Amino acid sequence: MLNFNRRAALAFGVALLTSTSLPALAQTYPDKPVTLVVSYAAGGGTDAIARVFAARLEKALNGRVIVENRPGAAANIGTEVVAAAEPDGYTLLIGNQGPMAVNPHLFKLKYDPAEALDPIAMIADAALVIVVGPRLQAKSMAELLEKAKAGELVYGSAGNASASHVATLLLGQTADIKLKHVPYKGAGPAVNDLVGGHIDFMVTTIPSVIGLVNDGTLTALAVTGSERFSELPDVPTVAESGLPGYTASAWYGLLGPKGLPQDVRDKLAAATTETLSDPEFIAKLKNDGGVPSNLVGQALADFMASERARWGEVVKAAGIKVE
Amino acid sequence: MMDVFYNLGLGFAVALTLKNVFFCFVGCLIGTLVGVLPGVGPVATISILLPVTLALDPTGALIMLAGIYYGAQYGGSTTAILVNIPGEATAVVTAIDGHEMAKQGKAGVALGLAAIGSFIAGTIATIVIAALGVPMTKMGLLFGPTEYFSLMVMGLVFAVVLAHGSLTKAVAMILVGVLLSCVGADMETGRERMSFGLHMLTDGIEFVVLAMGIFGFAEIFKNLADPEKRDLVKGSIGRLWPTLRELRENIGAILRGTGIGAILGVLPGNGAILGPFASYAAEKRISKRPQDFGKGVPQAVSGPESANNAGAQTSFIPLLTLGLPPNAVMALMVGAMMIQGIVPGPQVIDRNPELFWGLIASMWIGNLMLVIINLPLIGLWVKLLSVPYRLLFPAIVAFCCIGLFSISNDAAQVMMAGVLGLVGFALYKLQFEAAPLALGFVLGRLLEEKLRQALIISDGSMMTFVSSPLSAFLLAIGAVALCFAVLPSIRKSREDVFKDA
Repeated sequence: MLNFNRRAALAFGVALLTSTSLPALAQTYPDKPVTLVVSYAAGGGTDAIARVFAARLEKALNGRVIVENRPGAAANIGTEVVAAAEPDGYTLLIGNQGPMAVNPHLFKLKYDPAEALDPIAMIADAALVIVVGPRLQAKSMAELLEKAKAGELVYGSAGNASASHVATLLLGQTADIKLKHVPYKGAGPAVNDLVGGHIDFMVTTIPSVIGLVNDGTLTALAVTGSERFSELPDVPTVAESGLPGYTASAWYGLLGPKGLPQDVRDKLAAATTETLSDPEFIAKLKNDGGVPSNLVGQALADFMASERARWGEVVKAAGIKVE
Repeated sequence: MMDVFYNLGLGFAVALTLKNVFFCFVGCLIGTLVGVLPGVGPVATISILLPVTLALDPTGALIMLAGIYYGAQYGGSTTAILVNIPGEATAVVTAIDGHEMAKQGKAGVALGLAAIGSFIAGTIATIVIAALGVPMTKMGLLFGPTEYFSLMVMGLVFAVVLAHGSLTKAVAMILVGVLLSCVGADMETGRERMSFGLHMLTDGIEFVVLAMGIFGFAEIFKNLADPEKRDLVKGSIGRLWPTLRELRENIGAILRGTGIGAILGVLPGNGAILGPFASYAAEKRISKRPQDFGKGVPQAVSGPESANNAGAQTSFIPLLTLGLPPNAVMALMVGAMMIQGIVPGPQVIDRNPELFWGLIASMWIGNLMLVIINLPLIGLWVKLLSVPYRLLFPAIVAFCCIGLFSISNDAAQVMMAGVLGLVGFALYKLQFEAAPLALGFVLGRLLEEKLRQALIISDGSMMTFVSSPLSAFLLAIGAVALCFAVLPSIRKSREDVFKDA
């Protein structure tokens, strides 16, 4: 008993020393809970993926990972919080195409996400799906495009500048059709109006509609990724449906504040890779409409830069501008 | 109909297993607690507990989370009645007459009526979900942006018509509420409005922050400025239980509230929040003593509380039948289902009947538990009033701050509520009522959203509001109500529906 106490005290002393006087080292990292910031409210798509990821990352890192929701201002608040945090590996961010690739073209940000954040590793890629409801009886993409050329179709989105919105803008630009945009506050109410027959179609995340698609209430015309989604094997990609080159997806990367110690980055990247190869994690990710996508460090930075350039053009062509 | 009983039987068989009864109890207990604590809402609680549910089986997990949600609706009335701080957004209306009753030494009666009303509403809502889930879903789907807008206009007209006390002031407050609801990024262009470049205003003002400020903090300032009035509450505690006669007088209000709440709960975009307001307005309209509303009328507590609870439960209908979440809590429930590998949607009822019917049956069990948990607690809660205010108010402020912070893990929300508290106090001093402001705020947000959506769809043609039969019908009711209001004979009987305590 005495022995145990002494050892515990010693361990405690060592822990105290390392946590206060030494910089974070890969050997000891993480020696306190890691905060994973999600710039969206609990219950949304990004939050769901972050929570599944965090739960598995804990095992890989052998330490606590706490998801903290910092929603607001089109995900700029949470992103800014991490950009301004201490680069010690204890404050990390789940970044997606919104704040990383679209927002820099829309808002005057206090930071440049490419400069202020260190990309660690890509986590997942989630394609969107184009669905029609009872108002527009289209059975295929070709039919949708035909009807769109005959008259302006009305589409709903999860909000201004959301993935759902910009993916539809790109669709309109690629197919050279004019579409009417009805913004909603989140995918839920928009899907509701799609089912009720108040709007023609929408491009949305797969989990938000898969139940209704399987049931036949809504018809899935195409998925927006570069490959078909395993849970919707009969649904072609947009590229397969006559619009070659079209891809749009929501993607999720792990980032930290600029200047993370190299060993901490390496440890986090390795832990992410381990997580992404776990079949159980992959299965859970699939429920959230995602597939693992492993790009590490510079590769992720390059990918984000290309996405930013691409969506910049889409947004510019659509004439969206926020002061 | 036989099917319903068979299915409910299956549901009860699932819900009554020891394990699920336990989860239900835990959920109701946590729900009561977060409901009582001002500001700490079910959204924050469920998102914290979401990872924990990974370890449970799907049915148990959802039963527990559902318990937290409707448990919070029960608990929310407690703080509203005792200290005039609506613990939940939906308890704003309960606070008006409920706290007035508490001041008259009838806190126990108010709490008892709220609990019994909620139980009856919960029981009926359970049957409604089981028997009418599918048709009610169809009804909800009829409400597109156009119809929804007209419903809001009707609501606004009723609010104006019924807020008669000082009509000008009430209208002014409703308009201020509508104005405040416009703060934040424009939904279509993303341009910021009235945000003064402040991050905390870019997404607009959270309803909880507004309610906590103009009701909660303002009430504390009020009490500190006016110690005599406060002691009035402390001095008289009175009877703890409603009498049979009081129950008989309230059963009509409870049933009407249940009906109103159950219908509004199915609407997308958190229609449940309108239930209590609508019920209050209805009770006031048919009451023989409308002039007493705002001064502690029991029906003004039992009706809205029943509407609140019924709406909380029927808002599960779109989630269960279509997988569509009508509000933030239901969105979290979708998340909980997906964590468990269940795809929310119309197939849940066929593929997971034990989950579907078990959850529904557990709601009734949960409601029964809530009555059992809450009725004995009434004595305890009422005793809380005898705690010296100098000890009570710092605790209330602390809990409010924790709740406000938990909304988005942001201290800015706490500060904003503080500022709104000063606004609320100023309004009180100038004899403006806060309740119409809250209603204007709730309606305003939906009004703008739905108006713009409807007009985008119709290419800017206003005719869309008359060419849709449902929309035209709703507008006609609103117009008739407005006509009645301007008839002088009826104006005489106008009183202040939303008169604040």
